[in-house]
Amino acid sequence: MRGLVLLAALVAAAAGTETFVGHQVLRIIPTSDEELQKVQELQDLEELQLDFWLAPRGLGHPVDVRVPFPSLQPLKAHLEANGVTYSIMIEDVQELLDQEQMEMLRGRRQMPVTTNTFNYASYHTLDEIYTFMDLLVAENPNLVSKLEIGRSTENRPLYVLKFSKGGTNRPAVWIDTGIHSREWVTQASGVWFAKQIVLDHENDEGLASVLDKMDIFLEIVTNPDGFAFTQTQNRMWRKTRSKQSGSACIGVDPNRNWDAGFGGSGASGNPCSETYHGPYANSEPEVKAIVDFVKNHGNIKAFVSIHSYSQLLLYPYGYTRTPVPDQKELHEVSAKAVAALSSLYGTNYKYGSIITTIYQASGGTIDWTYNQGIKYSFTFELRDTGRYGFLLPAKQIVPTAQETWLALKVIMLHARDHL
Amino acid sequence: IPDSGHKYYLQFTTEDYKNGENAGSCLATVLYRRTKFPPVVNIKCMHTKDQKQIQEEDNRLYQKIRHQTKPIIGNNIPDSYGHIEPALEPAWALAVAGSSYIMWEKSTESLGYFLAQVKSVKQWIRKDDFIEFDYTVLLHEIPTQEIISCHMRLTWLPGHPLKVKYFCASENQGLEDGSGMESGSAAGILHGKGANF
Repeated sequence: MRGLVLLAALVAAAAGTETFVGHQVLRIIPTSDEELQKVQELQDLEELQLDFWLAPRGLGHPVDVRVPFPSLQPLKAHLEANGVTYSIMIEDVQELLDQEQMEMLRGRRQMPVTTNTFNYASYHTLDEIYTFMDLLVAENPNLVSKLEIGRSTENRPLYVLKFSKGGTNRPAVWIDTGIHSREWVTQASGVWFAKQIVLDHENDEGLASVLDKMDIFLEIVTNPDGFAFTQTQNRMWRKTRSKQSGSACIGVDPNRNWDAGFGGSGASGNPCSETYHGPYANSEPEVKAIVDFVKNHGNIKAFVSIHSYSQLLLYPYGYTRTPVPDQKELHEVSAKAVAALSSLYGTNYKYGSIITTIYQASGGTIDWTYNQGIKYSFTFELRDTGRYGFLLPAKQIVPTAQETWLALKVIMLHARDHL
Repeated sequence: IPDSGHKYYLQFTTEDYKNGENAGSCLATVLYRRTKFPPVVNIKCMHTKDQKQIQEEDNRLYQKIRHQTKPIIGNNIPDSYGHIEPALEPAWALAVAGSSYIMWEKSTESLGYFLAQVKSVKQWIRKDDFIEFDYTVLLHEIPTQEIISCHMRLTWLPGHPLKVKYFCASENQGLEDGSGMESGSAAGILHGKGANF
């Protein structure tokens, strides 16, 4: 007992610090009653500030104890003097904590383990989104599959998720996000849509009825080269990353590169411009891949291309003032879709044809798809109206995706009802 | 208006930039003349706040900035993820006000702007009571979709109009990857009202 009091006095003299620098975790396995008793007695010595991770239980059961640095020498001396053997499990607790911290920070940017632990309320890297896609497919192999429809200029895969309950070449809905890489809320919403389809495909009446008759194709990162560039070099990058002959400038506006009024007013012939239409229609592999897919599929009934920002729902045309033949119907569907969208958070949307609602734009996606016979061709411009613009705070991702999904369902249901 | 130009009649509501609350409504006419720029503007607004309230808020903002122990310096406001450091919010608020002046001067009947991002801010400490900031702001130009980089020098004292001097250069002239390299010179002539530097 005297020994213990002395021990305590020694330690009290060398008072401990706040961190865990130099702390060690010792393991003692008592093999005799004497040893066990000695170890149990240690628990009463408050001055040592011992932290038992595994308290003494009985003979043969390991006892793990974290020992603050000032207590180390005295304690070890005491154990040795009493013939209690121990081993050092952790040489320096702080070092381990630091390592773990580093890994955690790295880990936060690393691969999510399931789509249930994926953080939908934050922006992700290209790799994280690709991982998400694979996880979603692995978790729902009967509903979701991943197609590669081509490769980007920098040879990145162009992936499309297919949601199908069966059948062969069913009539389909196409949704793309991220065609303009700086419009980050769109890719983030695409990820949310994918998960939502999986969550709701049986219990949501509307969605279930759509999937009974139709497939859904979703291209989340339509412009992966641009997206990677916004993460590493220039957050405001919009176009593809293709080299242009005769110019130092890079990239083509993928929403001016389609074969509908190509090269006309509403696009630029200057490679350095943000609305450069490219050397010829479908020059961009990102665009060509979708064109080929749509033509080969032959049965797409609704096509929605998603952008930000401005809070608009638009239908063709952008390249000409001539109204589309289905103008009346598209206008009515838009009204319904916008009403559904607003019902959730009161977000205000305007709607109309591209040319009358924003400005003239030639070579646009939905002008081409409409001219291919895909009547329900729409473009969204998501939140907001300019306050944050492209830099929409992450906490708005989920509300934006939620309200947009309501509008998408209106469009899909209408298409389904008019097959 | 035949042989003269286009006249627009506008009715719109305004909202507080910080909290989105209704800040009043306005009636305006804008006449774009065929031969002269800028347009002729007539505007009348009803504010939801009274002068006293506005003054108090201005003073609060002013005091907040004056009581910083170090000159305010920052980059990328908001950042790529839409986040604004609370300490940089006052500088951002002034940037919004200042760049609205630039956008007002640059807008035409076919060109409009939004503030895309404050790329950098640096506070200059003055001997008098005025607050002074140097900014690089990025403007999003519609319908060209271009990102225009502007250098803005802003001076302010509550009760006085904001003094803004600026110089804008387009980001795209034969640019390669990475940070913007302006084609203009940094020693270019600064536009703006107020006394010359």
